[in-house]
Amino acid sequence: MVTFTALDWIWLSLFLILMVGCGVLFYRLGKRSESDFFLAGRGLPWWLPASSVYATHTATDTPMWVTGVIYRYGLSGLWYTFFSAWCAISAFVSTRIFRRSVAYTQAEWNTVRFGGLGAEMLRGWIAGWQVFMNMFILGWVGMAMGKICYFAFGWPTWIGLITFSSICAIYVLSAGYWGVVMADFQQGIIAFSVILIVSIWGVIAAGGPSGIVEKLASMGESWRLDPFAFSGWFEGDFPVIWFITMLFIAVLGGFGMGTSIDWYPEAQRIQSNKTVRDASYSIWWGSLLVIIRNSVWAIAILGFYVLYPNIEQTSDYELGWFRIGFEYLPHGMVGFFFAAILAIHLSTISTHLNLGAVYATRDLFKHYFRPQASEKQIIWFGRVATLILLLGSFFYGLMMEEITSWLIFALWLMAAGIWLPNILQVVWWRFNAWGYLSSWIANLGLSWLVVWILPEFGIIPELLDYQQFWLLMVLGALIYIPVTLLTEPENMEHLVKYYVMSRPIGWWKPVKKEAIRLGLLQAIKPVKH
Amino acid sequence: MALIKRKWNPVEADEWTKEDWLVIILSPIAYVLIMLGIAFSFLLFWTGFIILGVGIISIIIIHWVIDPKLQAISSEYELRQKEYIQELERSVRWEEHHE
Repeated sequence: MVTFTALDWIWLSLFLILMVGCGVLFYRLGKRSESDFFLAGRGLPWWLPASSVYATHTATDTPMWVTGVIYRYGLSGLWYTFFSAWCAISAFVSTRIFRRSVAYTQAEWNTVRFGGLGAEMLRGWIAGWQVFMNMFILGWVGMAMGKICYFAFGWPTWIGLITFSSICAIYVLSAGYWGVVMADFQQGIIAFSVILIVSIWGVIAAGGPSGIVEKLASMGESWRLDPFAFSGWFEGDFPVIWFITMLFIAVLGGFGMGTSIDWYPEAQRIQSNKTVRDASYSIWWGSLLVIIRNSVWAIAILGFYVLYPNIEQTSDYELGWFRIGFEYLPHGMVGFFFAAILAIHLSTISTHLNLGAVYATRDLFKHYFRPQASEKQIIWFGRVATLILLLGSFFYGLMMEEITSWLIFALWLMAAGIWLPNILQVVWWRFNAWGYLSSWIANLGLSWLVVWILPEFGIIPELLDYQQFWLLMVLGALIYIPVTLLTEPENMEHLVKYYVMSRPIGWWKPVKKEAIRLGLLQAIKPVKH
Repeated sequence: MALIKRKWNPVEADEWTKEDWLVIILSPIAYVLIMLGIAFSFLLFWTGFIILGVGIISIIIIHWVIDPKLQAISSEYELRQKEYIQELERSVRWEEHHE
């Protein structure tokens, strides 16, 4: 249990005033227009969305997730956290293509890329799915905060879940994305500084860098310092094949849109940049900060392992980094640490409140129900949607028991069966709305079957993660590839419009040829030597 | 012809070229180098500082290769963005698909 001194309360109060103050400060900007409430007017320099990319992806459950894999696998656990590397390629490929489409959301992009009824069905589907997913993410991140408050103060988990998400909603409701991105900027700085300070503190507490190395050696655990210490090629709980699969998913996923659940918040940040160049840099540098953060955390967790080497329960060692902060920081700094945890927490909550609201407002309310709605009505509906998401997240949060299993299943649901279609929609002109829609539907069913239902009934053995990924990818392809080839290609005029605006990478030759024939593009002749 | 092109006109910059592919390959490598470099440097391993140094150099190369191209794309594209946003508002309306 943690006891706050007067100084701790001062830290906490100052931070809450600073953060909620952002909402008041940017209230007028947020209500100017739909594009201000959801994209900050598309006018931000790259470093602001970059700080938001970083802050959003430093959630309350992230230190638990990172601690869990590093405590278990040592430095090779860093590869689990390398999922954010999809941004390495995306920053220069799909980010560029998406920014040029000017679509507000991924659901809207579907109607820019595809046409007709298929595109409309996709837009409705993705929008509905994203409203649900954002509520779901808000629930699980909120519940992580509930667990931390229980660990630190002994509060029932619902108090941590409801209190801080509600405080966050004040500035999201007031200023929309302006409030989110401005608060993210200061939250990102606070969070990064505190992660650095607490981690260094943890390393010192464990005996310093050389102390950690020596103690690991004396415990016979030096393999934890090797980032390539795998359990074998195919056997054990972290085989080489899983490492290769993770790299494959993460890195090549950058060619697509939606290959990671993080794509959806990133898409909003991409569009809020003032230029294509800013968009690329915001994604690249924001993700680099995430990668640096993971490495800093990893060493602190090695220190935690040296201090507490025999923790068996995942739910116990997952709290390792928080324990370093609460147990080793001096009195008067614990409030600062808790304020940083709040920064980490609120940046994620604010993002998903506003992101869920943009899908509910732009893609459902405005698109299907009130196409002629005024800017004022749209912003008000955005606020109502934010409130509904908040209340829904309390419901989901209270239903969740184990963070990790939900997280892994949600990632699977979003990643495995639709990983390749998410790339094909960007790189292959012939891939159509029906193919993409069928891949989503097939993936939902196949994920449930392969991950839970069939192993539960003993029809197939319980598969390892990498086996699930490849199986879901192949099974999905057996459905969406025939569906694509047996249905009509997208309308060529629609594709030409999209191509000229977005200039996608990959196999677009027939579309490019048509665009040149129509005089919409100049053909570049190769230079003869 | 220079190995790496650094002067672009907007039409050329819109094409996917070897400069893009070079960055596509280098960028994940830079991430890996930074990740491992930071971790090992924190442990005060000398290899960590070398890996980190190579990572930083690769970031400089990425920027040197791609920045002129991104600038050319952006300057041309931003001139037409307003028109594209108006077109987006018009083309993605549900009603118009049913007219």
